Amino acid sequence: MNLRGISKIIFIVAAIVILVVAVAAYFFLLKPPAPKEVIWVSTQLNPSAERAFVEGTLLPDFASEKGIKVQFVPISYADLASRLEAEMTAGKVTIGLIGELHGGLDMFASKGWLEDLDKFGALPGRTFPPVLEKYSRMHGIKAYIPWMTATYVFVVNKTAFDYLPPGLTEEDVKTGSSKWTYDALLAWAKDIAEKTVEKKLGFPVGPKGLWHRFLHGYLYPSFTGAQVKNFNSPDAVKMWEYLRELWQYVNPASTTWDAMAEPLLKEEVWLAWDHTARIKDAIVQKPEDFVVVPVPAGPKGRGFILVVAGLAIPKNSPASQEAWALIEYLTRPEVQVKVLENVGFFPSVNEAVGKIPSGPLKVMAQGVNAQVSADDALLAMIPSLGPKGGEFTGTYRKAFERIVLQGEDIETVINELGPQLLKLFEEVGAPLPPPDA
Amino acid sequence: MLIFIGYPILETFRLAFTNPETGALGLYNFLTLAKEAYFWNALRYTFLLAGIIIPIQVTFALIVSLLLMSRFKGSGAVLYIFLIPLTISDVAAALIWYNMLTGSGYLNRVLLSLGLIQKPLHFFGYQYRNMELLAIVATEVWRATAIVFVIIFAGLQIIGRDYLEAAEVFGAGTWEKLRYIIIPMLKPSIQTALIIRTLFAMQVFAVVWILAGRDIPVLAGEAYYWQVELKNPNVAAAYSLIIAFVSLLLGAVYLKLFKPKYLEG
Repeated sequence: MNLRGISKIIFIVAAIVILVVAVAAYFFLLKPPAPKEVIWVSTQLNPSAERAFVEGTLLPDFASEKGIKVQFVPISYADLASRLEAEMTAGKVTIGLIGELHGGLDMFASKGWLEDLDKFGALPGRTFPPVLEKYSRMHGIKAYIPWMTATYVFVVNKTAFDYLPPGLTEEDVKTGSSKWTYDALLAWAKDIAEKTVEKKLGFPVGPKGLWHRFLHGYLYPSFTGAQVKNFNSPDAVKMWEYLRELWQYVNPASTTWDAMAEPLLKEEVWLAWDHTARIKDAIVQKPEDFVVVPVPAGPKGRGFILVVAGLAIPKNSPASQEAWALIEYLTRPEVQVKVLENVGFFPSVNEAVGKIPSGPLKVMAQGVNAQVSADDALLAMIPSLGPKGGEFTGTYRKAFERIVLQGEDIETVINELGPQLLKLFEEVGAPLPPPDA
Repeated sequence: MLIFIGYPILETFRLAFTNPETGALGLYNFLTLAKEAYFWNALRYTFLLAGIIIPIQVTFALIVSLLLMSRFKGSGAVLYIFLIPLTISDVAAALIWYNMLTGSGYLNRVLLSLGLIQKPLHFFGYQYRNMELLAIVATEVWRATAIVFVIIFAGLQIIGRDYLEAAEVFGAGTWEKLRYIIIPMLKPSIQTALIIRTLFAMQVFAVVWILAGRDIPVLAGEAYYWQVELKNPNVAAAYSLIIAFVSLLLGAVYLKLFKPKYLEG
């Protein structure tokens, strides 16, 4: 080998060594102190489109403003619970911020895994509705900051206001006054059916519809004051009698509908109840035709389900100050409006409602806000039963099918199914959901 | 082959016979589904639908094939039009019929505007299950008769002209030709069509699901419901095995019934 060959080899080796040292230096010396990072673990906004919005729009804006890098980790509730438990027992917490539904955060707070958020001070310029303020305080601490909400509402085609029954005004319905009751709904649907010979009230009773939520979270609390514990009470008998009567004026095709946007747009129905996400298409396509209104009230109050997602900081979070900065950012009214516009979750702060540009979303947000702020609001939360959730909702649907569709005796059915329902909660060891507990 | 076909089949058996809570092997999932009224109704409706739809389709396909064999003017165009539904997916077909028959659909609007009815006809909803059944039958006949037709029409083409001409020489009329030559020689085609249609009928799903939801439960729909809505893959697997078993059984019955006699000579 000649000299030129050797010097060539030396050159190549030197080049490799320099490269390796440079790369190592970059990772070992420059990387760690650079950006402050928060790991944000969330069971919400997991579908790919929603995730893209978080990673592509929400977080870059935050990073450029505060210089804090956020790693967004979509996760299921089961994985989150076991990861948090493992980190708590090991004493080495990596999670900076948690995004979860009320039920899960309740569970974590009961185990003492969450930081008391009062110690970070107040969030100026934003007011949370009293119900949200109340429910986010539990187990002696401020467990989470309400982040996003979702609910189920009534949609009214404006034509239906021409058929209002005596004693009920358009204003009553829109504001959720004490006259907007289930009896008034029955009278209204009956009037429409008699005058138009069509049944214009509809519900998503199809196999993928959310009808069970109406039964356990709306009718049951409104008539019996509770979702579960009065399942086979005398009040419940009255409720089922009411539903049987109402069903005569419900569009029979309801049992084939999974979402109400289509039937509303086709004018198969003028009055419909459904989840906000499932009626959105109708409002977006014809914002002039529809209003979103609070649900009617029953003898025990205006029962409705509010799905609340909250932001919580685990104890010993490696970046609690950065996580708090992220909470401050995510609860800003303009950021909340952006979330509503992009992924359809409703704001948790009152100031955001005023900042929504007029249009379909405003129509919906006004209805949602009127419902949350109603004087007789009776908030129902979906219980956290994990894999048994299907059996829970299935029990209500079964009761409906047997009592209303198949005409079985009310007391026989509810006395048979009631104990099964309570057994579910015992098996899982879950507390009864509000308003029962 | 082993990976793509063998593994899923094994996995289905494993799921169907495993108790999801204890992990024990046994008939637990089959007992779970048999306790539900939905299972028995699904079984009943699956057979009922097959029993109504298949004879209509075979008869209809046979009539159209024979008509087309006579090669009247424009028969080519009729052939193509008749095959159009074949190109439409079952989901799309169901949606077309749903929009046609629904409360504010075309049919009701036409009938109302002609003054033939005073209020819309209800085709959908639990209280109108017979109408839902009718809608499903109509959709399935419209959508899937073409498959039966293609098979029978192809079978007709291979019947030698000379048999028919010979029969004519001996003075056979149209009915005799049909009864003694065409139908017997079509038997293998009819058998194929019946087996294919029956297997499809056991899996009927999208059309029923879109038109009637769970008002009219069917086996494949229940498998889907347990898997997706109730999140119980074990019971769903049990349903799939029941569908497979019923299909195999029916296939065997057909083979036995249709054993062509002339081959036994």
